[in-house]
Amino acid sequence: MPIFDQGYQHWSGHLSGRAWRWLAVTRQGIRGGLKNRFLRYVLFAAWVPALALVLMLCMWGLLERRSSLASTFMQYYMALLQPGVVADPQHYRADIWRLSYGYFLEIELRFSMVLILLVGPNLISQDLRFNALPLYFSRPLRRIDYFLGKLGVILAFLGMVVIVPSIVAYVLGLLFSLDITIIRDTFGILLASVAYGLILTFSAGMLILALSALSRSSRYVALCWVGIWLVSGIVATVLQAVDSQQRRYVYYNKMTVARPNGRDFDNLSRAERDKQWRAYRQARERAAEEYRVAELGFSAHDWRPLVSYTENLSRLGQQLLGTDQTWKRLSLLDPDQDARDQLLATYMGPQYPWYWSAGVLTGLFGLSACVLNLSVKSLDRLK
Amino acid sequence: MAYESSGEPRTLFQLDGVTKTYGAVTALDDLSVTVPSGAIGLLGPNGSGKTTMIRTLLGLIPVDAGSGQVLGMDFLHRQLNIRREVGFAPENECLFPAVEGVQFVAYAGELVGMRSKDAMQRAHEVLDYVGLGEARYRKVESYSTGMKQRLKLASAIVHDPKLLILDEPTNGMDPDGREEVLQLCRDLARNKGMSLLFSSHLLPDVEAVCDYIIVLGNGKLLAQGNIQQLKQVHNQCFEVRVKAGSETFAQGLSALGCVIEARDDVLLVQIPKGESPRMLWRAAAEQNQQIRYLRSQRSTLEEVFLKALEQK
Amino acid sequence: MCSEPFGKIAGPAEVRPIVAFHEVSKWYGNVIGLNKLTIRIPAGVTGLLGPNGAGKSTLLQLATGQLYPSQGTVHVLGQPVWNNPSLNRRIGLCPEQDAFYEWMTGWDFVYTSARLGGLGRADARDATGRTLDAVGMTRHKGRAIRGYSKGMRQRIKMAQALVHGPHVLFLDEPLAGTDPLARRALMDIIQRLGSEGKSVVVSSHVLHEVQSLTPNIILLNRGRLLAEGQVRQIRDLIDKHPHHIVLVCDGSRKLASRLVGWEDVEGIRMLPGGKALMVETRSPDAFYGRLPQLSLEDGTEIKEVYSDDDNLEAVFKYLVNK
Repeated sequence: MPIFDQGYQHWSGHLSGRAWRWLAVTRQGIRGGLKNRFLRYVLFAAWVPALALVLMLCMWGLLERRSSLASTFMQYYMALLQPGVVADPQHYRADIWRLSYGYFLEIELRFSMVLILLVGPNLISQDLRFNALPLYFSRPLRRIDYFLGKLGVILAFLGMVVIVPSIVAYVLGLLFSLDITIIRDTFGILLASVAYGLILTFSAGMLILALSALSRSSRYVALCWVGIWLVSGIVATVLQAVDSQQRRYVYYNKMTVARPNGRDFDNLSRAERDKQWRAYRQARERAAEEYRVAELGFSAHDWRPLVSYTENLSRLGQQLLGTDQTWKRLSLLDPDQDARDQLLATYMGPQYPWYWSAGVLTGLFGLSACVLNLSVKSLDRLK
Repeated sequence: MAYESSGEPRTLFQLDGVTKTYGAVTALDDLSVTVPSGAIGLLGPNGSGKTTMIRTLLGLIPVDAGSGQVLGMDFLHRQLNIRREVGFAPENECLFPAVEGVQFVAYAGELVGMRSKDAMQRAHEVLDYVGLGEARYRKVESYSTGMKQRLKLASAIVHDPKLLILDEPTNGMDPDGREEVLQLCRDLARNKGMSLLFSSHLLPDVEAVCDYIIVLGNGKLLAQGNIQQLKQVHNQCFEVRVKAGSETFAQGLSALGCVIEARDDVLLVQIPKGESPRMLWRAAAEQNQQIRYLRSQRSTLEEVFLKALEQK
Repeated sequence: MCSEPFGKIAGPAEVRPIVAFHEVSKWYGNVIGLNKLTIRIPAGVTGLLGPNGAGKSTLLQLATGQLYPSQGTVHVLGQPVWNNPSLNRRIGLCPEQDAFYEWMTGWDFVYTSARLGGLGRADARDATGRTLDAVGMTRHKGRAIRGYSKGMRQRIKMAQALVHGPHVLFLDEPLAGTDPLARRALMDIIQRLGSEGKSVVVSSHVLHEVQSLTPNIILLNRGRLLAEGQVRQIRDLIDKHPHHIVLVCDGSRKLASRLVGWEDVEGIRMLPGGKALMVETRSPDAFYGRLPQLSLEDGTEIKEVYSDDDNLEAVFKYLVNK
């Protein structure tokens, strides 16, 4: 037939199985997210810490091999770290890697919160606003596919900034060290950071999905997210500060040297005045050091950090990576007990049991799942 | 009119004793109906259970009692499979947000399981068919009502369903748009072998597209059948409209033994037994009248509907 | 009720215009809403038609005093309608949008509208009861509007437009979303109001509904007046499209051969089925005049005759899609 029918054509092609339906939702979400140029900027910026991590690991590898390149940076190493560590790089390899990953994950946690702020609120609330749910559920798509698809969007973006850089940095660090025994020492770190990435995705992802499903306006959802992220952090800090200030005064009150004051003081000679000030300052520093060390012990029972959402995630990350043990090992380099205590008090994170944080996060996860279940109903009850 | 394509079931869908209650309200009350394939109109007053029945057919809601099948598949157990073969264009305005038209339709196809390349190719084909030309590259929020309805229709047929369910498709459209959508529906039903379930309150629309209707009321089936058969023809009754002076014409006719009833500007004339319309022409010629309208009296679809409702 | 003077817009005595637009234009920024519209709407039911963007909503908003015309004057019942709250007592509007106080019951809503319309408490109570009965919502009057279906909301909207007994009614898509039962009831109300001498302007996209309500129409396109008057008269004036008249006859071919001989027949098309043919002619009057004689001739008895483009849809299509 020379003239072809331009009307409706039938189609019988391949339809994929049920298991992959969520992928279509994820792809669409990613496409929509990437249209936002602020998101692209933040993604770009989030790779800077990743670069820093790669740089750190590679340089450590060079240091281990005593390559010429590393010697040029030796002065920086000396400045950053204690000489004992630089002298025996291989022994402290796992510790340095652990610490590097620890700082990296802390920074990427903040970036993740910003990414979720940019891409998360629209996920379900836009569908509610434009009434897209009948279109979704009149197709062979179950609710679970829909939720998994949306969660997949969060997984994609957070994976891009947390999981992928972790793996890439690990591989590059491996290549720069050219030492296969690294894997035995540090594989746990890779697993821990990937696990952390997954925990972050599922926890924060479910939370933002639940918030997004509660409102048609993505602006309110974004505000709620800022509330959970920043405001809860501020509240926790305030609570902690209030509490610790009270304890601080106990230590200051125990000082035997009083603050130089009064008419008698003014009448003294200059040298005498300076001597008294110095004594006072030393006593104060002493008190501050004692206070800090005591705080470390006190934080084992402190529930206040649980109020901050990001603090919970950090605590789990700290536990997974085992940075506390690292600091303890590093502190052993210093012969002086006091100096060791000060180091630990400065660098170690909060000491409350990790399962408290895990409990809080699990509770939030469960709550989010309930909210999602109730608010996104299938077409049974939709108008 | 049932199509006999190879392998296609002649029964479109079938419900057996289906009951569904929402708390105190009974939406479907022991409903049993068997419907042949073709273009089916679904009529019923508000609250009669039409929406519930559509949702039951799509397998979206669990029923309290009863069973049934759509296109040969049990809707209690094979819901996802049913939705692969059925396209649904819902009533209210619904959109996938912030995408262009062609992306919208392609996404709709991907959600059914099409591969993304297949979905894109098919989206363009289907958009050609519904008549959205260059507009398909614009964002869907900028579309007019008519375009949105056509887009919805396109997204419902992108996976080539065997049954297309349309819920008030001409809602809020201007006459041109309505005409186009009805033409598309007619074409799909009559020429392309797709079965249609057309739910609407606008009876002329239903009449323009469908051949068979089901009337629901209070969750029960009130009437079903072929439209032409339901509209009874009264053999000796005619509707007549003349140019002017219908009273004199009416008097003249009743003198000849006809029973006349005037309605608006039309006369309902019942001619005596044994006579034919010839006597009307004779009367017109004698009285120098122009008969401008002469048809056998047939009940309209509205009358069929109202009668079915009264019978409950 | 119509004893007020109409001022300088008085028309002929039997067709006193109730709504009068005189060279009214309205634009929104650069976008034209209405373009030099002069129209007089008499008593009775009038249909207001036009494609999307024709200016129907603009016309209704100008006529109810919600907008001020960029040019020209708008008078209702002889008074200018802008900034004239006392005139609103005699105007009723049933808008297209669906916006209610959802927590109110139907009865409360209509009662409040009645009171706002100027009725005293007892009068308002009576009027509310009567109007709810007329629209068929007495059974549901105690329920909150939140729980109403689309058809019920539409009926409550009509009720609030009618309750204060207005003289002029503007209805924008009054039958949208109603099922055929409610539609019949509302159409009866509209026709009754028209026959009582009130002026009812019904704007709708659903042409067959407007056709069954009234033969008087106003057709707008792109903000300008395209046609006004009775549908049949307008049809007769459309020269460009000849009338299509369908004849059903057993001996259709023989009938066709007879018709070809007539001068005013411009075209004959045999319709599928073999029993019907369609005639195109520009002088329907002459054609119909000769038809009875032809029907009585041998072998050409005409069983049915009707014109399939004598209706509103055809008129609309011919005029709008030039």
